[in-house]
Amino acid sequence: MSTESKEVVSAAASPTDANPRRRSLLTAIAAGTGATFFGPWKVHHAWAQAAQAKPLVIGLTMDASGQYGASGGEERLGATMAIKEFNDKGGVLGRRIEALHMDTETTPATGSRVAERLITRNEAAFLIGGLHSGVANAISQVAQKYGCVYFNTNSSSPTEAGKDCHRVKFVWDGNGTNFAHAIVKNAIRANGRNWVLLTNDYVWGHQTSKATRQLAEANGAKIVDELMVPQNTRDFSAYLLKLQQIRPEVVAAAVGGDDIKALRQQVVQLGLHKRMAWINNQQDWPDVYGLGPDQIFGVFGTTWYYRLDLPGVKEFVAAYQKQFPGMAIRVPGNVYLNGYMATRELLRCVEEAGTTANIAVIRKLEGRRMTARDRLQHHDAWIDPVTHQCQQTIYMATYNDQPAEKDDIFRVLAQVDPKDVVDAAAPLACKLESYDATPAYQQ
Amino acid sequence: MGARASLPAAPPPVTTLLPHLINGLALGLLFALIALGFMLVVSLMETINLAHGSFFALGMYIALLIVAPPGDPAWLPLDAWRGFPVVVRYAIALALAPVVVGALGAVLELALRRTYGKDPLYGLLLTFGAALVLEEGIRALWGSTEKQLPLPQAISGAVLLGDLIYSTYRLFACAFAAVAIGLLWLFLEKTPYGAIIKAGAHDSEMVRALGIDLAKLRRYVFALGVALAALAGIVMAPIWGIRPHVGVDAVVPAFLIIVLGGVGSFWGAVIAALMVGLVVGLTGAYASEWSLLSMYLLFIAVVTFRARGIAGKKSALDV
Repeated sequence: MSTESKEVVSAAASPTDANPRRRSLLTAIAAGTGATFFGPWKVHHAWAQAAQAKPLVIGLTMDASGQYGASGGEERLGATMAIKEFNDKGGVLGRRIEALHMDTETTPATGSRVAERLITRNEAAFLIGGLHSGVANAISQVAQKYGCVYFNTNSSSPTEAGKDCHRVKFVWDGNGTNFAHAIVKNAIRANGRNWVLLTNDYVWGHQTSKATRQLAEANGAKIVDELMVPQNTRDFSAYLLKLQQIRPEVVAAAVGGDDIKALRQQVVQLGLHKRMAWINNQQDWPDVYGLGPDQIFGVFGTTWYYRLDLPGVKEFVAAYQKQFPGMAIRVPGNVYLNGYMATRELLRCVEEAGTTANIAVIRKLEGRRMTARDRLQHHDAWIDPVTHQCQQTIYMATYNDQPAEKDDIFRVLAQVDPKDVVDAAAPLACKLESYDATPAYQQ
Repeated sequence: MGARASLPAAPPPVTTLLPHLINGLALGLLFALIALGFMLVVSLMETINLAHGSFFALGMYIALLIVAPPGDPAWLPLDAWRGFPVVVRYAIALALAPVVVGALGAVLELALRRTYGKDPLYGLLLTFGAALVLEEGIRALWGSTEKQLPLPQAISGAVLLGDLIYSTYRLFACAFAAVAIGLLWLFLEKTPYGAIIKAGAHDSEMVRALGIDLAKLRRYVFALGVALAALAGIVMAPIWGIRPHVGVDAVVPAFLIIVLGGVGSFWGAVIAALMVGLVVGLTGAYASEWSLLSMYLLFIAVVTFRARGIAGKKSALDV
């Protein structure tokens, strides 16, 4: 069962407005008078169109339940924020933007059903959202069938921009291979050559561990064993006993969502974080936020941290806190950022293309370059035109034992240029459908 | 940690197997604890309580509220309470949270009453709806992020068993589960209340004829089943973590265990839970990709040859 919620994201009803009716009235009078007598005519025209034109519906295909429910909530906030910013400017192409969310339940079958419904019944112009690679793959198959541009915001299996790539799909997160490139060599050097892989038993886990294995073995490490962790595993005692018996020097985990939370708690209960080195390929912010200091052990990859010393980061965090006061997660993380950046870039491309026609928007996205400053990262990013994956800065982090404030739980160890962590296998595996073979789609 | 040239020599197979057998039995005891309340309600009231998992989760959250009240200014009156040692707060949570959740269960039973004697689907739908309401209520009140239940120092950390480390809390949880199972059995078998409850399940007409208030009896049984779900939730909180949807992880194995054990059989359910624990534990160690699926394969294997479960009573229709 999926839930649906419609959100017209706009600044008109800010929760901080003490007297929204009076303020709305004054704003309307001021805008009307100003527009009539002073222009600027372009803006006036946009507002008038926004009031009349058919709203642009963006389907948010994000998990609200299941293994990635918490992360799904965060990327939804990110997308909502970007949409709000555009609506505050009068929408896009003079159309107000409506976000329509449906829970994909961390289940591929639900993902397909939701995508089908959003496209055929709700006339969504674009689909945004993806945490679980199986779900993202399922959504993208439906999107490709109709030609609807789909943004996989946060799922990281190398197959997403590899063998499962599609002309309409754009992948916004770093993938398992990117993170493995960033972390494996150092981990061998610092911790030893006997490795065990702990793998979430689905496409992201498989592909990420495969990349880790290849890189580790190429650099002289020995993969002693690989333990498959079925999704939704809550009791890791058998795995942890096995690890004690194997006694590896490094445990390379590709475990995500609620599973990694349970794993972290149980590792700490046994003190195994002190007996062997742990690396977690990618650590999403919502999966670690709120855990105690002990449980944020090991070294892990991410694409962003809220205390990066870069221009614009503080303002971005402040905007999140202003827009979403009282949230359990008080500061944004990598999942929120991906949701925001992806949505903002899509709307910019629509604006630049001057149309919502799929092929025109796709052409704007392919090869698109984004400055480091614009994306609040250390290096410029770009969308690989061959794989449709956003190549971005990868950060290595660990627990911060000298936090400047309560939420300052990461210590960023290194930032890696996207050029140094490119997934070279992806372009060979990815065969994008031709433009002609992609159905024309416009809402 | 310095690099080693090679791994230590592998211990003999029996030595490696034994910890997994013990771990499997421990896991089984925890599964039994999770299934107890569900079993009680199904076997004595012939009602499938799909909200069992949500009450399990609610138990965790109420315990969290007692052990670690929020730091919000609205909770300032509880500042003095935070001064008590964790062990005291934890003990009170273990005693109080099941009572609170059990009382909520009694309220649900009032709503459930209208479905007695009708198509079982009504009861299923009602408890399913209650599960959704409870889960969303938890989400609204506590948010969807992971929470942790602070533990007393005495049951935290790890113990050395041979050259293996085992969680102290897991040992405590297993002992707690064993005691809870024993006490429930004593209550059902050795007290007049247990006799009345069982009689009510077997022959409600006769119980009513003896002047016993069957409606009240059902309410108490349902509340007890729900309280046991909450108790299991509190015990499992430090192992599984506290999330609004954690109940789903509990209700599925609970359902499987009572069917596998034979509906209505107390010891059947306990044996089934131990079997499930052993199978999950051993596959986790030796064929990890099968560990979650293994309980369902065990279930299929057993009910294929013995449809009424391990200790289920023979039906009149059985030849």
